Amino acid sequence: MLGVLVLASPAAAADAAHGKQLFAACIACHSETADAQGPSLKGVAGRKAAALEDFRYSPAMKRADIVWDAANLRDYLHDPQAKVKGNHMPFSGFANIGDAEDVAAYLQSYK
Amino acid sequence: MATRLKEIDVAVVGMGWAGGIMARELTLAGLNVVGFERGPDHRPASDFAMPGIRDELKYQQRLELMADNSIDTISFRNRPEQLALPIRRWSAFLPGEGVGGTGNHWGASHWRFQPEDFRLRSYLQARYGAKTIPDSMTIQDWPVSYDELEPYYDRFDKVCGVSGKAGNLKGRKIAGGNVFEGPRSSEYPNKPMPSSQGGVLFSNAAKSLGYHPFPVPFSAASAPYKNIYGVAMGACQECGFCTRTACEASAKASSVTTIMPALRQEPKFELRTRVFVSKLLYDKQAKRVTGVLYTDLKTGQEYEQPANIVVLSAFVFSNTHMLLHSGIGQPYDHATGKGLVGKNYCYQFEAPAAAFFPDKELNPYMGSPGGGVVIDDFNNASFDHAGLGFFGGGYCVASSGGAPPITGRSVPEGTPSWGGDWKRETVKWYYHAMHFNTQGSVYAHRDNYMDMDPTYRDALGRPLLRLTYNGTDNDHAMSRYVLAKLEGVIKAMGPAKYEMRPRPRNFTIVPYQSTHNAGGTIMGSDPGNSVVNRYLQSWDAHNLFVMGASTFPQQHGYNPTGTLGALALWSADKIKTSYLKNPGPLVHA
Repeated sequence: MLGVLVLASPAAAADAAHGKQLFAACIACHSETADAQGPSLKGVAGRKAAALEDFRYSPAMKRADIVWDAANLRDYLHDPQAKVKGNHMPFSGFANIGDAEDVAAYLQSYK
Repeated sequence: MATRLKEIDVAVVGMGWAGGIMARELTLAGLNVVGFERGPDHRPASDFAMPGIRDELKYQQRLELMADNSIDTISFRNRPEQLALPIRRWSAFLPGEGVGGTGNHWGASHWRFQPEDFRLRSYLQARYGAKTIPDSMTIQDWPVSYDELEPYYDRFDKVCGVSGKAGNLKGRKIAGGNVFEGPRSSEYPNKPMPSSQGGVLFSNAAKSLGYHPFPVPFSAASAPYKNIYGVAMGACQECGFCTRTACEASAKASSVTTIMPALRQEPKFELRTRVFVSKLLYDKQAKRVTGVLYTDLKTGQEYEQPANIVVLSAFVFSNTHMLLHSGIGQPYDHATGKGLVGKNYCYQFEAPAAAFFPDKELNPYMGSPGGGVVIDDFNNASFDHAGLGFFGGGYCVASSGGAPPITGRSVPEGTPSWGGDWKRETVKWYYHAMHFNTQGSVYAHRDNYMDMDPTYRDALGRPLLRLTYNGTDNDHAMSRYVLAKLEGVIKAMGPAKYEMRPRPRNFTIVPYQSTHNAGGTIMGSDPGNSVVNRYLQSWDAHNLFVMGASTFPQQHGYNPTGTLGALALWSADKIKTSYLKNPGPLVHA
């Protein structure tokens, strides 16, 4: 129980290097090419949801009204449909919240 | 009058699996390649994205990704003495259209043929006697062996990021994989998908009967994967929509997901879509093709595109039709048995079953074809045919996953097909129904073939291709046998009820059965038994290479795409290492 609490706490040291490895699950769509199925994630940290003008976001994401800080990214990556219900990302999430936190940590430096 | 364009190195006709592979491999060899595609381009970001791609009505019922029958189709009859009629809406089989071709909407079952399949006639004669094959059964050996093709099977696995479990690694048999397969040089690139609940029930029952169950080899990545062309694939999310539609997660392999991302960055590649290649330009004297004639479907303009090499990589029907219409090779004459173009048409003999388990929650709203479980104990060389009265065989597969809202409504026989009772039965059984299939071989028969239709023409004025096909006694006997073995496993699973669904005596073009068509431009050891040689090079035009299942001498008891992809890679390798240095026949007759 203690372990879960520690992992879920933003104060715990997230492993951005591990997050970079796990990010392989994202790059097929978030490919940063003109043809990408997912929006660019460069500079996503601190950005408002559905902020890029050249990507067609779902109505759910447009309504979400959240800023992608580390906690929101972690929660979204852990369970996308729980965090932003009805969004169109075809990914069921990182089951382990520690993994989600590591990817969120990696995204802080992804520019 | 056609406008004549500047000569190019390579014209690839049809941008599905084989066309994508050839375009990628030949641009890597430094050639300028133009891909011709009759259908639209398909860009995942706009065409295969959520939520539109889950529109089951559009894709699975209204067949959005299939070839447009109003431009061209085929005519069909069961027997040579009948009048053939045009197929005005695809049903039994669903050829695709657009970049990616039929590979966009396939079910992604990724198989290899057995080593014995490649020497079928010799194998059967050696094992069952020299006179054992009836004259009417026009099966023949492939001109390439399993061992020769294995490195290319392996390479194609690594194009697709296939998920599965090897049962034979370099001759070492491994429990939990397919112990009846030929030796693999390496394990699958990705681990198998988790088995569906129904697959687990089937697996346990099959084991109790001494069979050898294993997960369906699935041409999708079960984990994020980077393929040999440097293209990233996502992991399968088990969305429940797969066949007849394309993948929203770039996990299911197709030329769109695994090859086009690399080709789109390739300056030596040019894609022309909505262009209909109507004819190959053929210099019979020189035994060369000189290019292709095509119509731009957007403008109606006709163009002549000279090309140094032509790769014909359309669907089975279009490949055969193109050679017949272009006057390349000798058309098959049913009356005399002479001629080869159109010969040995083979379908796939599939017969399904369903079973109902009121006390099991099978969660069919999700899952993937990779969640199915297979037994291959009753394929060609897996068992002894002595005294059985037929040759061939097939695998049996079971799954409970991926039943979408319209299609996935299995109800027991006798249920009304509409109204209140149908609704009640649908609700009652949705969570508790399981589906099975037998994937049977079709061995070539002299009465099953393709030729030119004397009556009907397509939108460009060409005679339609005419298909003459019926299930043979051999294949019906094979199917009954395999279906009976499947029934044994189903009984051992203890369902409340089950239904075996054998095929009717005469083949019909409805309902859907399988898109696995083969033959028509078959490969062989010499020009007397084949249209193309072992490198898929035309015997009649050394710079023409014909790709795809139309080159299979017969259909084996597995899905064709794994072999189709391996053959394209094998041919591309030979073109690169030999043909480009010394253009001419690669096999001397």
